[in-house]
Amino acid sequence: MRLLPHRSAPPGRSVRFGARTAYPGLRSLWRLRWPYLFIAPFFILFAIFFVYPIVFSLWLSLHDTRGLGEGTFVGLGNYGLLLRDQFFWGSMLNAAILFLIYVPIMTAMAVVLASVLNAGFVRLQGMWRMLIFLPHATSMVAAGYTFRLLLERDSGYVNTALFAFGVSPIPWLDDGWWARISVGLLMIWAWLGYNTVIMLAGLQTIPRDLVEAAKVDGADAVQAFLRITVPLLKPVIVFAVTLSIIGTFSLFAEPFVLTRGGPARATETPVMQIFSTTFEEVKYGYAAAMAFVYFAVVVVVTIIQFSFVTRGEDA
Amino acid sequence: MTALRRCIAIAFTALFLVSCGGTVPVESVGSSPGATASPGSTASAGAASAGVESGDPDLTANLTIWGWEAAINTLKEVDPAFNEAYPNVSVEYVVQPPADTYRNIQLALAAGSGAPDISVIEDSHLAQFVELGGLADITEQVAPYRSVMNGYKWDTADSEGRTYGMPWDSGPVALYYRRDVFEEAGVDPASIETWDDYYEAATTIMAETGVPMLQNSKARNSGRLLEMLIWQRGLGYVDDEGAVILDEAPEIRETLEYLGRFWEEDLALDNEEWTDPWYAAFADGDVATQIAAVWMGTFFKSFIAPDAGGDWGVVRLPVWEEGDAQASNDGGSQLAMFEESEQKEAAWAYIEFHLGVEESQLTMYRELDIFPSLETTYDDPFFDEPDPYFGGDTARALFAEVVAEIPSAGMYTADYQEMNGILMTEIQKYAMGEQSAEEALGTAASTIRESTQRP
Repeated sequence: MRLLPHRSAPPGRSVRFGARTAYPGLRSLWRLRWPYLFIAPFFILFAIFFVYPIVFSLWLSLHDTRGLGEGTFVGLGNYGLLLRDQFFWGSMLNAAILFLIYVPIMTAMAVVLASVLNAGFVRLQGMWRMLIFLPHATSMVAAGYTFRLLLERDSGYVNTALFAFGVSPIPWLDDGWWARISVGLLMIWAWLGYNTVIMLAGLQTIPRDLVEAAKVDGADAVQAFLRITVPLLKPVIVFAVTLSIIGTFSLFAEPFVLTRGGPARATETPVMQIFSTTFEEVKYGYAAAMAFVYFAVVVVVTIIQFSFVTRGEDA
Repeated sequence: MTALRRCIAIAFTALFLVSCGGTVPVESVGSSPGATASPGSTASAGAASAGVESGDPDLTANLTIWGWEAAINTLKEVDPAFNEAYPNVSVEYVVQPPADTYRNIQLALAAGSGAPDISVIEDSHLAQFVELGGLADITEQVAPYRSVMNGYKWDTADSEGRTYGMPWDSGPVALYYRRDVFEEAGVDPASIETWDDYYEAATTIMAETGVPMLQNSKARNSGRLLEMLIWQRGLGYVDDEGAVILDEAPEIRETLEYLGRFWEEDLALDNEEWTDPWYAAFADGDVATQIAAVWMGTFFKSFIAPDAGGDWGVVRLPVWEEGDAQASNDGGSQLAMFEESEQKEAAWAYIEFHLGVEESQLTMYRELDIFPSLETTYDDPFFDEPDPYFGGDTARALFAEVVAEIPSAGMYTADYQEMNGILMTEIQKYAMGEQSAEEALGTAASTIRESTQRP
């Protein structure tokens, strides 16, 4: 298949063009002008909305600026201050804790649910799949406020229901650890369906004869699931967990609505920190430095998780 | 490959041009400062108002004004009169919640275009914008009003001898109390003279009726109540020189510990501000008092407890020591113009007509309870009328007395948002029993020093 334009320039013109310019690159650029033109819109938008902001943020992060005027160049000063910023590192720790609270449970539930939904004996599979995915399509702000109503200490429905069973009120949103659990619950509710769909897609690539062969060899359903299905699903699980890492560190809407980052910043995430530093404290330069450090941390954590998983594979 | 590199180079050149275009400073046109200020240099607002009241049919403009619903609705009350005086000045309001208004102002200022002609800005945010730049210098225009507005309001509008805001409303603080609860407990509100009396009353009311004295959230504390109580003592986050005093003024620790006693002894109801349970406690009489600014009365009447007319009363704040001011402030706002506005003359006419004219301020106070910062209005008979919602108390006259006594305090500085956020966190930890009041204020002070680079 030819990707080059079918109409090549006549030899004479081509030579003239080549003679006029000393740059052979320009010639091939001209020759490939149509393909470049066709892909240009994407790259132009990419440059304006991705490359430029990133480069500009980098510039900002090296300056003490509130967004107006030039600001003063401070080199790595913002990064130095950031190293000692207890709120920023606290928010990183919050994200890590939050990750441990909900991701293992959610991922395990997603695998089990996906297997059930993939099994032949379940009827109305389409309906179940839709119902499980539905929360993900809900506005997170609406869901956050609903969870607030449910989890309110004195008047929330959850505590009212628990009270009927003699359980004393749980400070869902009024205690650091409970607030983290509450955000975790909201995350599971919102993201379980999404993860289940990913797992389902993975399951459908596993040939059924493998499980059947195991059963012929005498494995029961649980053994077949744990020894055959889960190991074969591992790449998909790794993928889902990676998405969850990035998702947890960049959490914003869920804790912003449910807990406002409280109590005492126990549920404040790095992105919430960056947001308030930019828009409430108006420290553009410092917030940009935060964004870069946050990005670096997420990359490092993801790499660690990957190497951790691959090492497991070798053993 | 070379071609690709070339493409990227071209793209970056384009980007460079685009970005340069974006940061070209917008030149301001028109408006000679002082052109619309009152004739003569008289310091009387009466004379100043006379000029603006008569209006100017030749002034033509289309003003854009930003603010939130309550503020804009109030300004609109004056618009019929304004339109008569300035028939060719039309006004377009953009209504957004306060947080969005501030964010969009910042974005417009950073982008160099898109700011409105005028915006409502709360005192708590004004200093930040003054420091940021982008607000119009209206020192000459406000000169006739300096002596007739509540003096403390200029603290946030001024910077290095120049003024960037025109005071609109003030937030004098008083003590709201439930008459029915006090009667049932047999406590006379007039007997509460000091904060110790207030605490005694709280224990009596709890013993007699089981009703907590006030609402003050622990895990979701906003820090505002502590701010009001230290402002009463002339204290804020910083002193006159801008140095952090949270951990240096023993009065602040005493005040926080005082509030802590209400938590420890279950005399305070732990509800977050501006939530349904908080509203319900006011409406149902599940709380005996509320320490709040004048605008709280507006919210009681309009949506928090509209059916509780006659149940609430208002008295002056108790004092810490005899001779202290029975006054504090919470909130309040101003109108500011923007440097990039090309219609500054009309913008100032709008601001002066709405805020500098007694009749306008009184209209806004009468209709929507926004308490004027313009002191010449306080002589109006309206202030002496009994307020039926407060059981016939002359609440307005009371607030007029309060506002005259509000001390200056280092509260609403350019770093207020940041300092409030830091203090709030430490108060929450204190309220949840994780640290002492001294530790809370010590940590808050050192964090503020580090992050705002103040002494």
